[in-house]
Amino acid sequence: MARRRVLWIFPALLILVGLSIYPLLYSLKVSFVTIQGDWGISNYTRILRDHLLHVSLIQTFIYVTGALTIELILGLFLALLVDSLGRGKYFFRGGFLAPMLLPPVVAAIVWRLIYNPQFGVLNSTLKLFGVATEKLTWTSGEGSAMASVIFVDIWEWTPFMFLLLSAGLQSIPVEPCEAARMDGASSFKVLKDIILPLLKPTLFLAILLRAMDLLRIFDQIWILTQGGPGLATETVSLYIYRTAFRFFNFGYAASMSFVCLILVSLFAKSLFRMLKMSVV
Amino acid sequence: MSLGLIALCFLTLEGCTKTSGETGLTVAVNAGVEGQALKEAAKDWEKKTGVKMHVVELPYSNLFEKELLDLKSKTGAYDVIMLDDPWFPQYATGGQLNSLDNLYKGQGLEGPESDFIKSTLDVCRQPWATGSYYALPYVGNSQLFFYRKDLFDKYSLKAPKTWTEVLQGAKKIGSAEKMYGYVMRAAAGNAVVADFMPLLWAFGADIFSPDKKPALNSPEAVSALKFMLALGEVTPPGYTGYNADEVSAHLLQSTAVMSINWPAWIGPMDDVSKSKIVGKIGFTQIPSEKNKGQAELGAWLVAIPSGSKNVAKAFEFIRWATSPTQMKVAAFRGNPPTRTSVFDDRDLIQKFRAFPAQKESLASARPRPRTPLWNEIENVFGIYLSKANSKTMDPETALNEANKEITAIISRNL
Repeated sequence: MARRRVLWIFPALLILVGLSIYPLLYSLKVSFVTIQGDWGISNYTRILRDHLLHVSLIQTFIYVTGALTIELILGLFLALLVDSLGRGKYFFRGGFLAPMLLPPVVAAIVWRLIYNPQFGVLNSTLKLFGVATEKLTWTSGEGSAMASVIFVDIWEWTPFMFLLLSAGLQSIPVEPCEAARMDGASSFKVLKDIILPLLKPTLFLAILLRAMDLLRIFDQIWILTQGGPGLATETVSLYIYRTAFRFFNFGYAASMSFVCLILVSLFAKSLFRMLKMSVV
Repeated sequence: MSLGLIALCFLTLEGCTKTSGETGLTVAVNAGVEGQALKEAAKDWEKKTGVKMHVVELPYSNLFEKELLDLKSKTGAYDVIMLDDPWFPQYATGGQLNSLDNLYKGQGLEGPESDFIKSTLDVCRQPWATGSYYALPYVGNSQLFFYRKDLFDKYSLKAPKTWTEVLQGAKKIGSAEKMYGYVMRAAAGNAVVADFMPLLWAFGADIFSPDKKPALNSPEAVSALKFMLALGEVTPPGYTGYNADEVSAHLLQSTAVMSINWPAWIGPMDDVSKSKIVGKIGFTQIPSEKNKGQAELGAWLVAIPSGSKNVAKAFEFIRWATSPTQMKVAAFRGNPPTRTSVFDDRDLIQKFRAFPAQKESLASARPRPRTPLWNEIENVFGIYLSKANSKTMDPETALNEANKEITAIISRNL
């Protein structure tokens, strides 16, 4: 009987081993091979000294926390707003999803044109309102580049947060809210003490999904700034891509990927623990 | 093994285009203006010989990674590849490309004809200018200096011969015409390095000293970077994010007076549907300063991977595609040639007014350092040049840091 069970899961197991486990183990092996073809831990020791990687890790952290925080707040606000509407809920739900339907590459190209300091629609519009746009260089400015790329992510992915949190809000029973209101609780108190605690599992799920997506951001930044100016928008995924496919140093790229995997796993684990605690 | 696995994943789709037993040729070309003529040539070759031609068009960065994966794992997915000349040192090492010397000898020939412009042939040899041939030059790309001839005439100025004259002209015309005096590419990476190299050379500096040690911390290099920042003052704000598109848009829209640019943008300057400056722009040589001005070479080459199973046919095709007759056909299609005889062709000169300037620029053009580590060096150099242009690092520190990083790259790869 047990043998027959194993036989049934064998095809799935084969696919899993072939497409996930073997490549993972193989890349672990590659991460210990230096560019000269020798074995050793030099790729991992280089990680400790590589300041370009350190800068890109910090930038990734800024990017992830910046985009995630704003997307979460905006998504929650929009979800609550649309949920409170008597009419037109479906219209707004559909409308808000539009940016998310665009492929990230297309969205980035559109925003690259919008951000152009001299010919872009953003500065042209601001000029109409009398704003001095001469120094508004958006993705080209060392100080404004990160904020500009974060804004594009917020524009495109807040609808995702909105969608998840909207679904979460719909699953909350109406009775506790109505009872609280009848007892004289203010809207803020209902939100703080009833809606948000009940929404916690959805909130954690949304944060986890979005954070994992943000940590591997590549396409938008590649098209908007290619990591520049200087290192202003260089993120880990860009740096790993360059190391692997521009410099052809697969060993070092693999070792950096494993370090990132560990960091992301730790983050996900702590989030799961918080989720578990909140549910219990 | 790892390369083999990656190559297998990447090349699966390309591999599907060639069925087993079929003896056609698969050609990898750049999906841009530079690849257009070779794509057309492949179609003509199919009509002429009946050899089935599969053209795989790939964007610039994908072309590099897919070609190099194919070369390293010798999958034989491509019979002919098109490559940018800075990639050549990385491609030509370790027997990844077929040497053309024996193929020429097999046909009773010494090597490529002397009609090819020397600078473009030199980058087809490993080691540079002296070794065996592993490629043939197809696209004769080198930088040119674009300037508004009408405005220079209006203010009784001659075409700038030095960088000092460029800055003076940029300030004078820019302020009088309410335009940006100059416009340059300074996006991190390839863009800013490409626009800085002619300045670096003109100011008497180079990335490496004659004994091949990084030499970016020289006073001459610092002067060149300081001059670049001075040019930045008369360049549109936000130029630190500019690439070729933005630079050319400023010229086409008549909002900038001068720039370094590439031959692919000559045509659009005189195209009424795209340009506000038809017939108003002049093309001249890269200005001098301490040293004679030299353009950066950006030739595209054609080569045969050693994994190809159709070497003889592939060689026949690349020789035909780079022949004078075929190169003239390609030139009419907009491809900058690599042969003197084609540049001197009267019909072509009549059609392409910049041809004499292009020929002069190409003949004296200088390649980027011939090292397999160029991509990594260019990346780090570009980061620090970009930082200096963004004014987050002073020129001395930026070049010192770049020099340190380049030294580290070289010692890591020894």
